Amino acid sequence: MKANYINKIILAVLLFGLVSCDSELNFEPRQSIDATTALETAQDIESAVVGAYAIMGGGSLYGTNLNVVPELLASDTYFSWFGTFQSYRQIALKTMDANNAEASRTWINAYRAINVANTILANIDKISAGATKDRLTGEAYFIRGSMFFELVRLYGLPFSAGNTTTNLGVPINLIATTDDKLASSLGARKTVAEVYTQVIADLNQAVTLIPNSNPTRATKFSALAMLSRVYLQQGNYTAARAAADNVITNSGKSLTGTVGAPFLNKNSSESLFEIQQNDQNNAGTSNDGLATFYASLQGIGRADIRILASFRNLYEATDKRRSDLIYSAVGARAGSTRYHTGKWIAFGSNILVIRLSEMYLTRAECNLRLSLPFVGDSPTNDYNLVRNRAGATPALLVSSVQTILNERVLELAFEGSRIHDLKRVKVSTGTFPYDSPKLVLPIPRREIDANASLIQNPGYN
Amino acid sequence: MKKLLLSYFLMCFLMVTVLYAQNKTITGKVTSATDGAPLPGVSVSVKGNTSIGSQTDASGNFKLSVPSTAKTLVFRYIGFKEIELPVSTTVNVKLAEDLKALSEVVVVGYGTQNKQDLTGSVSRVTSKEFADQPISTFETALQGRAAGVFINSGSGKLGQGLTIRVRGISSISAGQDPLYVIDGQPVVSQALGSATEPDNPLASIAPEDIESIEILKDAAAASIYGARASNGVVLVTTKSGKAGKTKVNFTYFTGISNPTYRGDFLNSAEYRQLFTEAIKNSSLNGVGWNTDDAEDAWLQYGAGTDDWSKDYDTKWTDLSFQDGGISQYNISVNGGDAKTRFFISGGYNDQTGILIGNSFNRSNGRLNVDHSVSNKFKIGTNISIAKTKNNRVSSDNAFTNPLQLNAIPPIQRARLDDGELSDETLYYNNLIDLEKATAISSQLRSISNFNAKYNFSSDLSITGDLGFDITQLDEENYNGKETLDGAPTGLGFTRQVNSSSYNTNIYLSYLKSFGKHNIDLVGGNSFQTTTLKTGSSTGIGFPNDKFTKIASAAIVSGGSSTETGYSFLSYFARGNYKFNNKYIVGASGRIDGSSRFGKNNRYGFFPSVSAGWIISEENFIKSISKISFLKLRASYGLTGNSEIGNFPSLTLYSALPYADKAGIVPSQIGVDDLKWEKSKKLDFGLDFGFFNNRISGEFDYFNNQTEDLLLSFPLPAINGFTSIVRNVGKLENKGLEFTLTTNNLVGKFKWSTSFNISTYKNKILATDGSIINGGSRQLGRIAEGNAYGYFYGPKYAGVDPANGDALFFNEDGTTANDSDWDGYEQEVGDPNPEFYGGFGNTFSYKGFDLNIQSQFVYGNDLYNIAGFFQSVNGDYYDNQTRDQLNYWTPTNTITNIPQPRFLDGNGAFKSSRWVQDGSYFRVKSVVLGYKIPSNILSKLKVDNARVYISGQNLLTFTNYKGYDPEVNATYTGRVNLGHDFYTPPQARTITFGVNFGF
Repeated sequence: MKANYINKIILAVLLFGLVSCDSELNFEPRQSIDATTALETAQDIESAVVGAYAIMGGGSLYGTNLNVVPELLASDTYFSWFGTFQSYRQIALKTMDANNAEASRTWINAYRAINVANTILANIDKISAGATKDRLTGEAYFIRGSMFFELVRLYGLPFSAGNTTTNLGVPINLIATTDDKLASSLGARKTVAEVYTQVIADLNQAVTLIPNSNPTRATKFSALAMLSRVYLQQGNYTAARAAADNVITNSGKSLTGTVGAPFLNKNSSESLFEIQQNDQNNAGTSNDGLATFYASLQGIGRADIRILASFRNLYEATDKRRSDLIYSAVGARAGSTRYHTGKWIAFGSNILVIRLSEMYLTRAECNLRLSLPFVGDSPTNDYNLVRNRAGATPALLVSSVQTILNERVLELAFEGSRIHDLKRVKVSTGTFPYDSPKLVLPIPRREIDANASLIQNPGYN
Repeated sequence: MKKLLLSYFLMCFLMVTVLYAQNKTITGKVTSATDGAPLPGVSVSVKGNTSIGSQTDASGNFKLSVPSTAKTLVFRYIGFKEIELPVSTTVNVKLAEDLKALSEVVVVGYGTQNKQDLTGSVSRVTSKEFADQPISTFETALQGRAAGVFINSGSGKLGQGLTIRVRGISSISAGQDPLYVIDGQPVVSQALGSATEPDNPLASIAPEDIESIEILKDAAAASIYGARASNGVVLVTTKSGKAGKTKVNFTYFTGISNPTYRGDFLNSAEYRQLFTEAIKNSSLNGVGWNTDDAEDAWLQYGAGTDDWSKDYDTKWTDLSFQDGGISQYNISVNGGDAKTRFFISGGYNDQTGILIGNSFNRSNGRLNVDHSVSNKFKIGTNISIAKTKNNRVSSDNAFTNPLQLNAIPPIQRARLDDGELSDETLYYNNLIDLEKATAISSQLRSISNFNAKYNFSSDLSITGDLGFDITQLDEENYNGKETLDGAPTGLGFTRQVNSSSYNTNIYLSYLKSFGKHNIDLVGGNSFQTTTLKTGSSTGIGFPNDKFTKIASAAIVSGGSSTETGYSFLSYFARGNYKFNNKYIVGASGRIDGSSRFGKNNRYGFFPSVSAGWIISEENFIKSISKISFLKLRASYGLTGNSEIGNFPSLTLYSALPYADKAGIVPSQIGVDDLKWEKSKKLDFGLDFGFFNNRISGEFDYFNNQTEDLLLSFPLPAINGFTSIVRNVGKLENKGLEFTLTTNNLVGKFKWSTSFNISTYKNKILATDGSIINGGSRQLGRIAEGNAYGYFYGPKYAGVDPANGDALFFNEDGTTANDSDWDGYEQEVGDPNPEFYGGFGNTFSYKGFDLNIQSQFVYGNDLYNIAGFFQSVNGDYYDNQTRDQLNYWTPTNTITNIPQPRFLDGNGAFKSSRWVQDGSYFRVKSVVLGYKIPSNILSKLKVDNARVYISGQNLLTFTNYKGYDPEVNATYTGRVNLGHDFYTPPQARTITFGVNFGF
């Protein structure tokens, strides 16, 4: 046939193949969007704020570790750890090394949340001035301040150990990371005092900017309550009391009728800040999440944290916190004398971070520690408010700080405050003094490897 | 792109030419000079005009019409010497067997070459070598047979992906697997499933359909695959039809399988003895339980049952296993004439794993046809479709992994008094999963292509092909409410994956000989695009276990859909020039553009040069009759690695939900310059044959320097990102390969041996200071100056004879116990082998044949992570390996097992305590067959028949104390090689099979 004709066609096809497809090399990701278009509108920034809460709700932060790690560090006379995770076991035994997986992921994700907060603040001027801008700005500050606070009290020696201007806290990074150069920049650890200063500055901004009501998210009073915690941790009782009293007086919050309600119901009247969860989106159902570690119910929980009978006996027989909030294991490691907390029993429940009864106990403690007059109400009334709600015997007169501290242990058990309270009142846990380096998490090895300017905590290498 | 396809088809249709006249008919018969048997399938052609040809039929007869100008006929048959005879009306030929194995034709990228003329390094495994073996996926056929190809099956789980590394490990964070090209088309070989451990999409390819597998190892061979060739290229060629009488082949085999090793754990009496001791020595003695009261301790810290005082004695490890089995039916029909040839096959393979609940089956069909439209124009198609169904078992690191049953104390029972499975065990009794849970992964896959070739002249041709690779994966899991993962209300999960890839190749080939010059040129263009879509949903709250679909779930608790993809646009060329049959030079190159590369580096160029010198053609060697072949070759070139993820160069935000609100967060920090990894590959080779090629072999030295390694570079997390992908690292792999094939006896009793041994020395040269650690339980590490994945951690120093404390080495070389140890970590092993290889022997006598193939790995270390739990002197109630009974006591002070101290962690953390030598020698397969004599068969109208018995993994010699030294707990991540964590052993399989040909 006409060979020439065919040759021409083939040549044409070949050339077509050679030139036609260049545009086919552009593939756009479908599940992600390019950073340049990510934060353009108020709605985009609102989404980023939600994203930051989601990070805080993960297992590395409030979803598990910011609760479980402070409890494990103070497990003596409290509970036994039965879990198979080496990382948690090391924390329970105080034999952490710098590779401890929990120390690594909590550090990483706290800074991840901080970077989102920084990114929100860097882009906030894309929103015109007004209530929305203030609220989102304030929330970013709340998130950043809370994360620095959690970091400094886990990775630095306690504020109560003194030398706060020389003891090392954590690096402070206030710049949004937008490119690879910023992502690689190194930062040294700031002192404990410097970090606390930053925390207080951020939380004060949050208090100023966030409105009184902000459903399911941080409010002005969430920030005030967190601030109260910060001051208490510093032993600044005056400021802690003022913040706690402000929350009690102005937040409109009230103790729930039953001790279980704050945990069973989402966003109860007692809740000051809680992580929102549901069945789809939660910290975890098998390797992460509070119910995972605390619970032993049919099909729920690994039963890794078992309350010691002696601790259970600290509650009076009539105390609802004993009858309603402690149960015998019926799931994993079942047994009638194996006790577990009833605070964390469902994967999809919210995770309470701060609630009102803590503010009462803080106010009571500070009132007792400071000279008269009492602010708000008498320590006895505040104390009895908590006791009466639980069905425990009220006191005629509370005159000792220790009484309040004991009540704090009972009321706030398994809510992630135990080691922090021990440290601030300088009480040992087991054989470890409150300022033992063994009670301070290591700076993660991966972080030291990636950032030569970091100095490891004493006792780790 | 649609336009391109259209034009492509147009091209196929238009390539029609006229037939020409034929005017002379020749007939004849071809027989073997050795035994006089007729030879079917011998190619008969006219010299100088290869387009005129035919093949002999089953009786060795042929008939051929030739132009009157034809002078000489050429007879060619693989395994026999080529012969040329003058044209006459009747030509009867006796072909002599050819031991000159080096004359075989090997498949290379976009063409074929004579092995003799190769300047690159190519390993070849043909169907003959793995026939009759119950291999579950074709890659296992390469194990022990191809030098420089290291294969680790990872575990005895059916349907799971294997680790295949060609010439060491060429990447840290990009892909490490070779590129798979089936009949000219790069195919998807990465796991598509959502399970922690990878599935193997290549398991859908029936080994019976494969004619040969070539592995392109050096730059000369592989750089024509450019940015995808750094890890080597595996070319798979499927069988094609042969002209002649239609032949039907039926094969069937069936067999049983068992684990190679079942583990050695304590029985109840031993368990009680060890734990009574551990309870007494614990610091909790008298605190956590009544002093020295092991029964009380069990009540307090055990499973909450009274098992301590009962007399149960359960051998839990046996409960993890079942009797496995395998059966396969395959039928293939092959035939055609000078114009049209076809190969049709269909098969069914059914395997029951040795692990409870594990099974795999495959149904496959294939149609390969090629048709000569004219003497200039040929079209063909390869169409395959396969369906696989895999009942998967959990990841090694799951309580539901059947092998984790061995952690349950022997003093506990599997079933309660009512016959129901016990839910009172220390750890989840995952036998419940067997009854109440399913995890099925089904795959439907078609790899098909359409091809056309037009010969402009006898020298120049154009080939075009269009291939599709479409995979539909369907994962469906259901966990009843009684199961660990399904509690409390039942859990259903379903996921569909659609992977579709299409690829076009268009290339010109020019082959010319004039005088002493031979030229072979190929050049063309290729385009590939692949998209991957997934959709999944999860439901909880099922009425009962009879309802397993999400439609019956009370709550649809999760759902997702995703899409991703990539494309490659490439131009390639290769040229080889041979002078005087002695001197060969070659060059090849490819330009690859890909959507995966950063916008500043869209296209990469990958050239190679090579040279060969056939010394045996030189007069000074030609006179030495003992030397039949000798060739030196060398090559140098560049290849790339583009398995870097689809969008690594972009800075991205992704969605992150917060309860019922949608949030977004930065998810990736990108680099615009990001590009492929680059390997500079150097290879020196020597091919030899002595004594008429009765001894032949190859020797290779390679040195591969990989640069611009994409490292997921650890960032200081304080800026919000933990890693960034950059082209920063360098590593090298150097090694030697040696292959030797000998025909020891060639008479009636035949014996041939093949042996290969390979080494690779891997060294990480630069990582810009970054160090990658394998994790808190793992020892693997990547750091400058060390081998990939070398073991790094605390070094165990044995037991203090004075007090039974576990000791560890301090930095200054002294030793200390757990609490005083200074935390010093150091190199404690290397998972890379010093050498590995295979050794095979084939014997045949009359109708009998025996093939024994073994495989060995030497000098690698393994780390059994499960030692934490099962070989830790009774630190917790996990059942212990029997060696723990040799624990320290005041009277048994010289031992390596510390004093048992319940929950005190005496030597219980990660350390070299559980590092062991992983060397092994394994008799991989033995096939003993008998060919039923043709005089018996002819009465039955059967052409040939063979019966055989075959054994896989019959014997393993190793010092490794875990289940199986061929282990790789993939869930631990790629940094951790040679890690074992309740990883199931390989199966030992015995099969019986028959093959019939009609």
